Amino acid sequence: MEHISKRPVYLNLFKIRLPIGGVVSILHRVTGVFLVLLLPPAIYLLQQSLQSAATFESTVRILGSLPGRALLLIVTWMFVQHLYSGIRHLLLDVDIGVERTTARRSAWLTLVVSVVTLLLIGLWMT
Amino acid sequence: MRPRPTGSAHSGLGEWLLQRVTAVYMGVFVLYFVLRFAIAPIDVYAAWKVWFASVAVRIGFALFFASALLHSWVGMRSVFMDYVKPMWLRFVVQLVTATVLLILALWVAQILLGNT
Repeated sequence: MEHISKRPVYLNLFKIRLPIGGVVSILHRVTGVFLVLLLPPAIYLLQQSLQSAATFESTVRILGSLPGRALLLIVTWMFVQHLYSGIRHLLLDVDIGVERTTARRSAWLTLVVSVVTLLLIGLWMT
Repeated sequence: MRPRPTGSAHSGLGEWLLQRVTAVYMGVFVLYFVLRFAIAPIDVYAAWKVWFASVAVRIGFALFFASALLHSWVGMRSVFMDYVKPMWLRFVVQLVTATVLLILALWVAQILLGNT
């Protein structure tokens, strides 16, 4: 492994121009990791909602509070971004939109549609 | 019978397929869930319990969480394989991840099988 670590590495993060497909790909990973971390709190909330009328009420209250709703919005964005880039992934798997300009457009599209979804849900919540 | 080498040529394809099948199921389930509650919201505990008492709903949730946990495993594993280079550390984080996911699976099973 010695020879590998001694190779010169050029990694100036400020000079790397990551194409949009790369940005969306990294977002897919980051949102994915966050969604995994959110599994325990989600299971906990489900359990609380089922335990008794009192815990159900408090779960509803927590989710309905201002910080609760803000968190729900962030989680929703992470989920739909992951979902849309995942759908893009599935389409690329079956050779749809592999061509570069189309692939770049669809990468942008996942971002646009996830933000639009977020705004719609935000409006619906208020 | 000839012993198979540990990393069979097959195993990658299995994970690839698993990741996609679980993704599609979760997508369909969440779509159903959101539409169901957008059309007819449940805001009373009794109604929530009644809905959740249905076997179909519990099976739907069971498959959803099974999908989520398997999907998490495949996803986290590929993240670790890309960023965690020392083999011993990769082994440790994968072991911890697998253990936590198994505990979550048991927790979900407890909720879904519960007499709620």
